[in-house]
Amino acid sequence: MLFNATTKVATRKLILPWKNWKHALSSSATTIPSKISTNTNTNTNTNTSTSTSTNSNPSEVDKFSSFAGHWWDSRANPLIGMNPTRIHFIQQVLTATCHKTSDAPSPLYDKRVLDIGCGGGLLTESMSRLGASSVVGVDASSRVVEAARRHSFHPFSGLRSADDEAAETSEKGTIRYIGGTTVEELSRRWASRRQRGRRRRGQSEISSSCDGGLERDCDHDAEDEDDHCELFDVVTALEIIEHVPDPESLLRSAVSLLKPDGMLFVSTINRTWKSYGLAIVAAEYVSGRVPVGTHDWNRFWSPAEVRRMICDVEHGTSNGSGNNIGNDNGNGSEIMNECQEKEYVMKQVGLSGMVIQPPFFNLKWSLDPLDTDVNWIGAYQKQQLQS
Amino acid sequence: NCCGVYDSMQVWEHDGPAQLHFVGEDLEGAINEGRLVNLQQLLNDSTSNKSTGRKNRPWLGAVIEDAPFVSAVWDELRKDDRIDLLDKIQVKSIKAPNHSDMGKIEPPPPVDITCVRKGVNDEGEEFTISSNLLVAADGANSFIRRTVGTFPMITRSYGRMAVTCTVELDTSKSRMGMARTAFQRFLPYGPIALLPVWNSVDSSSDREKESGPIYANVVWSTLPSEAKYLLSLSSEEFIAALNEYLCQGPNVNPSLLPDSNQPGGPPAIPLLSTIVREIDSLLRTANTALTMGTWTEAPTRNFFRMPPRSKKVVGPIMGFDLTMSHVATNGGYTSPRVALVGDAAHTMHPMAGQGLNLGMGDIHALASLIKEAVDSGMDVGGTNLFLDRYNEERILKGWGILGGVQFLHEAFECTGSIPGSITEHENATSVGSVGGLKGLIGYSRSLGMNAVNGIAPVRKALAEVAAGASPRLFP
Repeated sequence: MLFNATTKVATRKLILPWKNWKHALSSSATTIPSKISTNTNTNTNTNTSTSTSTNSNPSEVDKFSSFAGHWWDSRANPLIGMNPTRIHFIQQVLTATCHKTSDAPSPLYDKRVLDIGCGGGLLTESMSRLGASSVVGVDASSRVVEAARRHSFHPFSGLRSADDEAAETSEKGTIRYIGGTTVEELSRRWASRRQRGRRRRGQSEISSSCDGGLERDCDHDAEDEDDHCELFDVVTALEIIEHVPDPESLLRSAVSLLKPDGMLFVSTINRTWKSYGLAIVAAEYVSGRVPVGTHDWNRFWSPAEVRRMICDVEHGTSNGSGNNIGNDNGNGSEIMNECQEKEYVMKQVGLSGMVIQPPFFNLKWSLDPLDTDVNWIGAYQKQQLQS
Repeated sequence: NCCGVYDSMQVWEHDGPAQLHFVGEDLEGAINEGRLVNLQQLLNDSTSNKSTGRKNRPWLGAVIEDAPFVSAVWDELRKDDRIDLLDKIQVKSIKAPNHSDMGKIEPPPPVDITCVRKGVNDEGEEFTISSNLLVAADGANSFIRRTVGTFPMITRSYGRMAVTCTVELDTSKSRMGMARTAFQRFLPYGPIALLPVWNSVDSSSDREKESGPIYANVVWSTLPSEAKYLLSLSSEEFIAALNEYLCQGPNVNPSLLPDSNQPGGPPAIPLLSTIVREIDSLLRTANTALTMGTWTEAPTRNFFRMPPRSKKVVGPIMGFDLTMSHVATNGGYTSPRVALVGDAAHTMHPMAGQGLNLGMGDIHALASLIKEAVDSGMDVGGTNLFLDRYNEERILKGWGILGGVQFLHEAFECTGSIPGSITEHENATSVGSVGGLKGLIGYSRSLGMNAVNGIAPVRKALAEVAAGASPRLFP
C-alpha cells in the first residue's frame, strides 16, 4: 500500500449501485437523479435562505486534509500523474477556440484563472507557470491550502504570491490561495464587493459601461490592492464536483464568476459499471492507489448530466451573484436590473475521456475523445446569446 | 557526409555453414507502419540518382564518425539562443537532493553544480549553476555518476579487448557489393567486423564509382593476449592477419565425434558411437541442406559474398577493453533531479552495434518527458513523476538488449572453449575436431541461424529490434 490509511474512513461501507442501476446502464443518463441516496453528512444550516448553507462535506474535507502531507508525492498521489493530460486538454480547447489575443506563447497567457478545489495547488501552479497573469485557488480545506502555500511560495518553486510586494512590478503571474471557503461564499463576497464599488462610482457610469464593464468596476479599497474580485477568463473545477453535496450550486457559482466568452472546465468520473470496477474496486481496494473511501460511486456524474447542470439551467445575467439576485439590499438589485439586457448561455465546446494506457500499473494517462466511461473532462464556454 | 551507410549486413560463423543476411528491405515493414523513422528519406540520399541499382537500396544502418557528428550537433545547438553552451569548464562538485527530499510539501532543492572556468593560467573563478534536472551523458566512466554516488552499478568484464582501425580496401578485383555491406565473422573468441565508412559522398563527384579509395572500419574483438599480439604487429602483418581471418567463408560443422585421424582412441561404447554418428550425419546434412536452400531462394539476397580484402591501414590501430555494465537497482537510471543516459547508464559488447542505439533511445525518452513537463507547466525534477516514467521505459529495454548481446556472445561460443585460437593456429589440428556437447551447440547454433535467416518474419523482427523500432502492439 502506497498510502497509510490514516483517514477516519477506514472501514467503508461498500455502497452498492443497485439503487441507481438504471443510470448505471446508460452512461448518458437522461435524468439527473432526484435524490442522492447515500449517507450525506451535509452541514445544512437551517436558514430560510438557501444561500447560506455551506456546500462542503466535513468528512470529505477531513479526508483530504489528512492527505495534505502527501499531496506532492508523485508515488502516493495519482493526481500528479493526471496533471499533464488535463493541462493538455485545457490548452487544446483554448487554442481551438482562438482565445489568444496576440501572438501569445501559450493560450493561457495573461489570463485570469480560478481553480475550484485547488487542493495542494497542482493545477494552480501549472497554470501560473504557463503564463496566466493571476491564478486564484479555492478549497474548502484550509490545511491543504496551507500545504499549497508552502509548496508554491517556497523559493525553489519560482512562483509569485499575490501578496508579494514585488508582485506589482514583476511581469510574472501571481497565485493567490483562499482556503476554508467554498466557491459559493467567494462569489457572494466578491459580488457584494463589486456592488459596493459600483455604488461608489455612481449609477451614470454604470449604464454606459454595462457591456463588459462589470469586470473593470471593482473595489479599489486600500485593503485590496489588486483587482482580485474581477471575473475570470478560465474557471476549472477538476475532480471536485463528485466530492460536494450540491454540485449544481458549485457549477452555478463557477459560471457566475466567468467573464463573457470565458471557459469553464469540469472533470469528474462517469457513473458506469466500468467506473465502479476501475475507479472504486480496482483503484481503492485492489491496487490501493487511491485511499479507500475517497470516492462515492453515487456521486459520480456523466457528461450528459453535467452538461444539463451547466447549460440547460437558467443562469441569468453575468452580474456576479450566482444564487440570488436580490440578496443584499434594494439598491443593488436596481443597478443589476439595468444590466439584464445581455443574456448568456453556456455551451459545451469540448469533451474527452482520460484513459490509462497499457501497461496499466504505471498510470500513464492520455486523452481519448471516444472513451468517457471512467474519467472525463469537459469544456463549457459562456457565449453570448445573439440578441 | 561523414557516415558510412550500409544496406546489408552479412554475419557468418567460422565453424558452421550458416549465415545471417540482413538487408535494408527488412526494415521496410517497420518504416511503413510508422514504427521507425525513414532516415534515408529524411537525409535525401544524395547518391540515389545514380544509375546502378545497388545505390537505391534502402538503408539498414550507418557507421558514424564521432568527431564530426559531435561538432555538427554543437553547431546546431549554437543556433538557438535559449541554449547556453559552456565549454572549457571543469566541474568541481555536484550537490543533488536526497531521496528523502522528494515527496515532501516543500519542493526539493535544485541540483547545484560548481564549476571552474579554465582560465589562461588554468585557474579560473568558480561559479555555480542551479538546475531542475541534471542529465549525465558523459560516457562509461561518468564523472557525474561517480560524484553523485547514488548509482550502484553491476560491472563485468567480458574478458575481451577490441582492436579497431580504419583500412583501405583492395579495389582491384571489383567494386560491386563492397561499398555498402557490413561484414561480421564470428571467430572462436569474438567477432571480427568490417564496417563501411565515408561512403555517402555528394553527388557532385559523379565518378565516385570508378575512382577513389573505399575505406572500412575494422573492429576485432578477441582475448586480451591476442589483442595485444595484434597491436604489436606491423601494419602489413596486421593486414595479412586481417585478410586471413576475415576472408574465409562458412565451414562445415565440426562433428559430434572426434575424427578418425585424430589421436583419440576407439570409442568406448560402440553402439552409442554408432547412434551419435548417425545423429551427426543427420544434423550435418540438415544444416547444409538448409543453408543451400536459402541460397537458391532469392539470389540477390542470400548467397555468400566474400568480404573484400584490405590493402593497407589508414590511421592508428587502437585497442580497448570490453566490459558490460548496467545500473544495479530498479530505479537506477535516475536519482532525484539527476538522470543517466547512454554509456553512463549501460555499456555492452560492440558486436551487435547496440550501445549507441540504446543511448539514442534513452535520450529520446528523456527529451519527450522533459517536453511533457514543460508543456504542462510542471517542474521536471520537482516530483518523481517524470523520472519514474523514464526509468520504467528504459530499464527493461536496457536489460533486454544487454541480455540479448550476452546471449549472442555465448551462443557463438565467444566464451571460447574451442581450440583454434589465432596464436595456436599453426599447431592446431583441423577445425573439425571438436566433439560432444560443444559439437551439439555448434549444430544447434547453425540450425538456429539458418532458421532466423530463412524465416523472414523472425529475421525482420530481429532487424527491427536492432534498429530500435517501436514494437508492434498487435502482431
